[in-house]
Amino acid sequence: MVNLDDIKKEAHRILKEKKVKYIIGYTQGANGFPAVPVFIKNPEDADNLVWNPACIHNLTRFLRDEKKRRAREKHPDNRPVGIIVKGCDSRAINVLLQEKYIAREDVFVLGVSCEDTGVVDEKKLAKKLKGKKALCFDWDENRNLVVTTEDGKSTINADEVLAERCLECPAQSPVVYDILFGDKVKLSPEDRFKSVEKIENLSQKERWAFWKEQFDKCIRCYACRSVCPMCYCDECVVDTISFAVTADTTAEEKAQKIKWIDKSPVTSETYIYHMIRAIHLAGRCIDCGECERVCPLDIPIRFLNKKLEKEAKKLFDYEVGFDPDQLSLVSSFRDEDPEDFIR
Amino acid sequence: MQKILTKKSFPKWVANLATYQIYAPVEKDDLWSYEIVTADEITTDYPNTVLSPKKITFPQREFFLEFSQNDDGIPGVTELLPEEKESVIFGVRPCDAKGVSHMDKVFGGDFEDAYYWKRRNQVTLVGLSCNTPPSPNCFCTSVDGSPHSTDGLDVLLTDIGDRFFVQTFTKKGDRIINASKGLFTAPKPKDKTDVEKVHKDAVKAMPRSLKDTKKIPPKLKDLFEANLWDEEAMSCIQCGICTYLCPTCHCFDINDEITSHSPLEGKRVRTWDNCQFPDFTMHSSGHNPRPDKASRLRQRIMHKFQYFVEKYKNFQCIGCGRCISKCPVGIDIIQVLEKVRDHV
Repeated sequence: MVNLDDIKKEAHRILKEKKVKYIIGYTQGANGFPAVPVFIKNPEDADNLVWNPACIHNLTRFLRDEKKRRAREKHPDNRPVGIIVKGCDSRAINVLLQEKYIAREDVFVLGVSCEDTGVVDEKKLAKKLKGKKALCFDWDENRNLVVTTEDGKSTINADEVLAERCLECPAQSPVVYDILFGDKVKLSPEDRFKSVEKIENLSQKERWAFWKEQFDKCIRCYACRSVCPMCYCDECVVDTISFAVTADTTAEEKAQKIKWIDKSPVTSETYIYHMIRAIHLAGRCIDCGECERVCPLDIPIRFLNKKLEKEAKKLFDYEVGFDPDQLSLVSSFRDEDPEDFIR
Repeated sequence: MQKILTKKSFPKWVANLATYQIYAPVEKDDLWSYEIVTADEITTDYPNTVLSPKKITFPQREFFLEFSQNDDGIPGVTELLPEEKESVIFGVRPCDAKGVSHMDKVFGGDFEDAYYWKRRNQVTLVGLSCNTPPSPNCFCTSVDGSPHSTDGLDVLLTDIGDRFFVQTFTKKGDRIINASKGLFTAPKPKDKTDVEKVHKDAVKAMPRSLKDTKKIPPKLKDLFEANLWDEEAMSCIQCGICTYLCPTCHCFDINDEITSHSPLEGKRVRTWDNCQFPDFTMHSSGHNPRPDKASRLRQRIMHKFQYFVEKYKNFQCIGCGRCISKCPVGIDIIQVLEKVRDHV
C-alpha cells in the first residue's frame, strides 16, 4: 500500500538536502477539490502533498515549462526537479528521455504505484454520485472506491469509476524512478485495445459521421495540446505566427510564414488540427488520457491516439515508454517490419 | 410589466412565437448547449451550458467582407453584414444575460460594431431565475449579480411551482408577451410573496462567495509586478478554456481566408482570440510584451477586475463559475482573487 507519509518524508528530505529545485506533486484544491498540481519549494510545505484517486493529472507536462524557464534564465539553477509520477506518467518521462528533450539528471522521479487500481474518472464518478459532492474518497483493499458525501459513506467497484485508460493500462507501477512508493505490480489487462473496437467496428461512413459531429464541437481552445507532455514543439502548426522569430529574422522570412490551418473552427480546419496532432503522437503517446479529460466539449480524442498505439504494437511490435534507449517508431526499421502497405 | 403564465400554457406561448428562431439549453451526451429547439424541448432543469449565449450574439466565427480580383486585376470588395433571423433565447441564466449586457458596453459606446449589433438587435433574451445554483461554482452575488438579476434580459421567468412569474423590462420583452396576451394573467398578491421567497432562498443557496470584492480593483493597481502571478500561474497550462467559455471575454482576431488563389477569392473573417495564447500579443518583431504565462494570467484577472471596472464601473466577471469548473488544473479565480485582496 502507498503510504502518503512516506512520500511526504522523502519530499521533505530531498528539499531539505537541496537535492531538488522544487517538487511537482499534488495537493488539495480550492473548494474541496481533492487533487490539483502543486509546486513545492520549502521542505515544510511537503506536508501539503496528497495522494488519492483524484491524482489524475500527468505532471510531466510541467517539465516543458521548466525547460523553457531554464532557457530564459541567465544563471539557471540546474538541480533536478522532483516529480511525482504514476505508471503512465513515468512512461512519458521515458519518451522525453528517448527524444532527448530532458536528461535523466534533470528529474528526480518519485514513482507512485497505482497497484491494482488507478485514478478516478471525474465524469463517471459524478454520474454515480448523482450531483452529490465527494467530500473524500480512497480505495479499500477490495478494489472498491469508498466515497464520503454529505449522505455518508458508499462503496463503488473500481471498474465502474476508473478512468478508461486505467482499465487498459500496461504499467500500473512506474517503469522509471529514483524512489518507488507502493507495491510493484504488473497486471495484464485482458485486452489493452478493447475501447477502440467501438470505433473500429463502424463503417467508414459511420466513422466519418461520428468524427464530424465530434470535431464540429471543437472550439480550438487547444487544451488537448496544452496538457500533453509530448506537445512540446516550439512551433505548432495551428499557431498563426512563428515563435521562432528573433531579432535577426528578416521581413521576407516573416512574410513567407505559411499559414497551414485557419483559425476558424470549421470542419476542414479542425479536422486537420486533430489529425496532425494524432499522427505526431504515434509511437509517442503513452495514453495518459489527459487530452480527453481536459476537453471542455468531451471530444473522445483518446480513441485516435489509442488506435495509433494499437497499430504500432500490431504492425511493428512497438511499445511506447518502456525503454528510453529504444529507437523511435518513425525513425527505426527492422527487417521483419511489414511492408505490404507499400505498393 | 408583471404577469403570470401557467406551465401548462408555456408551450402555447412558445408556439405563438413561430416567426422567431427559438434557442434554449438542450442536453446531448451529458453536455448542455444553446441550440435551436421546438417548444417541447425547453426544460427548466439544467446546469450551466458549456458555452454561454455569447456563442449566438458573438459567434466564434463571422464574416466581415468578401474580396476578389478579376482577370484584369480589378479588386472587388463586398461587405457581408450578418442577416440573422429574429430569435428568442429561452432559459438564459441571469449571470449570462449580464454577460451579454457587458458585451454590449464593449461593442457599443464610442464605436458601434455594426457586425455585433446586427446580430444583437435580432435577439430577445428570456431569462430563467436560478432557484437552485446551476453550477457548484456559482458566485454571482459576490460580483454585484444575483440569481434573479435582470441586467441584459428582456424577460425574466421565475419558476414558482405550477406557474412562472413573468417580468418584462424592455419593449422587445413586452412584444413577445403581447403576442400571446390571452395566456398571461395579472399576478395575485400570493404570486408576489411566492416569487419574493424563491428569490430570497436562491441567494441563500449560493454555493461560493468572495468577500470584500470592492477591495480588489484598487489592490490590483499595485500588484502589476507582484510575485503572486508567477506563483498562481505555475500550474496554468495556457489553454484557452477559461476565456473561450467566459461569457464576457470578447477578444477577437481578424484573418483573410483565401478560398481561391487564381482568380483571387476569399473572405475576411473574425474569430475569437485568446489572451492566454502566446501569439495573442506577439509582435512581428519577435518581441512579446506578455512573454510568460504569469503575465497572461495577470492580464485576465486585471481585465476582469481592474481595467473593466475603471472603464465601465462594473466587474467584468459575472460569477458563472465556468472557468473554475472547467480548468484542467484547478485554477480557481475566487482563490486567486482572495490572494489579491489579502496581499500585503
